[in-house]
Amino acid sequence: MAKDKVVLKGLTKQFMVKDQVVTALRDVDLSIREGEFVCIVGPSGCGKTTLLRILAGLETMTEGVMDIYHTDMNKPLNSMIFQDQSIFPWMTVRRNVGFGLKCRNVPDKDIAPIVEHYIRMVGLTKFADAYPYQLSGGMKQRVSVARAFANDPELLLMDEPFAALDEQNKLLLQEELLRIWEGSKKTVIFITHSIDEALTLADRVIIMTSHPGTFKATMDVNLPRPRKIAEMRGQERFNSLFMELWGILREEVRKAKESEGLAFEDNEMQPPAHDGGHTALHEEKRLVL
Amino acid sequence: MAAKEPAVAGSGGAVAQSTRSGVVHLEGTGAMKAVSSGLTQKKRFALSERTNRILGFFSPLVILAIWEVFSRTGVLDARFFPPPTLIAVEFWKMLTNGSLLKDIGISLFRVIVGFLAGTIPGLIIGLSMGLFRPVRIILRPIVSATYPIPKLALLPLVLVVFGLGETSKIVIIALGTFFMVLINASAGVLNLDKIYLDVAKNFGASRRDFYTKIALPGAMPLIFTGFELGMGMALLLIVAAEMNGASSGIGYLVWASYGIYNLKAMFVAFICIAALGYAFAEALNAIQRKIIPWRQM
Repeated sequence: MAKDKVVLKGLTKQFMVKDQVVTALRDVDLSIREGEFVCIVGPSGCGKTTLLRILAGLETMTEGVMDIYHTDMNKPLNSMIFQDQSIFPWMTVRRNVGFGLKCRNVPDKDIAPIVEHYIRMVGLTKFADAYPYQLSGGMKQRVSVARAFANDPELLLMDEPFAALDEQNKLLLQEELLRIWEGSKKTVIFITHSIDEALTLADRVIIMTSHPGTFKATMDVNLPRPRKIAEMRGQERFNSLFMELWGILREEVRKAKESEGLAFEDNEMQPPAHDGGHTALHEEKRLVL
Repeated sequence: MAAKEPAVAGSGGAVAQSTRSGVVHLEGTGAMKAVSSGLTQKKRFALSERTNRILGFFSPLVILAIWEVFSRTGVLDARFFPPPTLIAVEFWKMLTNGSLLKDIGISLFRVIVGFLAGTIPGLIIGLSMGLFRPVRIILRPIVSATYPIPKLALLPLVLVVFGLGETSKIVIIALGTFFMVLINASAGVLNLDKIYLDVAKNFGASRRDFYTKIALPGAMPLIFTGFELGMGMALLLIVAAEMNGASSGIGYLVWASYGIYNLKAMFVAFICIAALGYAFAEALNAIQRKIIPWRQM
């Protein structure tokens, strides 16, 4: 069995919202092995994004232990792919993709071939010198994917990167991601609320409870790789996994809806104004399917 | 005009729809009619635009002609509003004897040096205030309190401290542009989407990268607004600064003409200031197009 890459113990995150403590994440335990592709699914507002931002070092935890093993000091530890448009409007595609390398003071002559390679991988060679305003939403997310891979991190953190895309673009990008990732074998933590997406991409799916978020269950996806999305979908194995996952998740989604009263945006940057889920305690159980 | 445009687009849509759904011939001809009327509307629109351009070109000339006639016939007092032709003659005289170019040259020097002396610190402090909260917290009250003091009110102090030489003129212009650039640069950074700062942090950007790769280019559109406002401020201040203790410059020319009651020369100075303002605006525009190619125009 491969080494542990990320180990979280009792990770808790609380925000202060108008003099009230809101718990976004409660006692999250997690261990992810090196080279593993893990998808985290959960109802809207369960703290998925907060968890990823803590892993990315963009947010601090309130309590708990987080160990991320950095094996090759020549590589950056992690790179994040954001949900929203996050590529710099003032840089061309080329400069955007090379951003991480440039920040690490890699010489320009070494940056160029790496950047070319990943721009080709995401099929944007013709647009290498275009500015983001000249690109479609799907192309922008491709740049974002290329930027993260070009940085060559040990850990890729992806926060619903394809959620804003239309269905066709989403499928294309998932295929591209699988293709690029299967060559690289990086550890990936991928947040999504789509069951399809989680099963398509992941080695293992982690299901989170509704607000405050904690881990409810983990599920191994024993589908062979390399995966072809078109072939996978509709296979009996895929369908039964889908039903299983939905079975675990639906209760949490229902609880989330009930405790919030309203559905709110899945944006943990701004915790919900009302702290409705605070009183709803969830039974915590870890089942391995 | 705006009301006509959608009508044209609407009729075009109707044509496409009727052919696609293959409706009866009768409806097709109806649509054709709409298209042809749309074309004539477009033609009329184009004509009126040309007239507009001609009007825009000739209207100042018409006003100058009226001015000339009124001034010559005594409707306007020729001592205060000399006829434009005489101003033009004066202009030519001053241009050929070299005095005008000398005045423009020295004012230009003061404006440009003062502008740079104000812009560079304004840019650095403004970006720092935008990027770093502690800097913002420390400096904001100072900026808020000193910015509203009219720079003209500071002129006597500047003259006392820096004397009557070039330095005092440059300092007063620098003060004026400094605040314009500082305020716009910090607003430009604050207006940046937080996600760009997150990306920079996540990708290990150094403090220097934050300035040069994120804050400066990201705030550039607003910084240019600051440059434009600063330029306007600089032209205003140069005239005031050259009022006292100067013996050259375009502002000096205004006050010297006032002193000897030569209003023709004063109008020449006005024309020069206007031309400088226009030239600066055009130059800034050209630079802006060059260094902000990513801006959707």
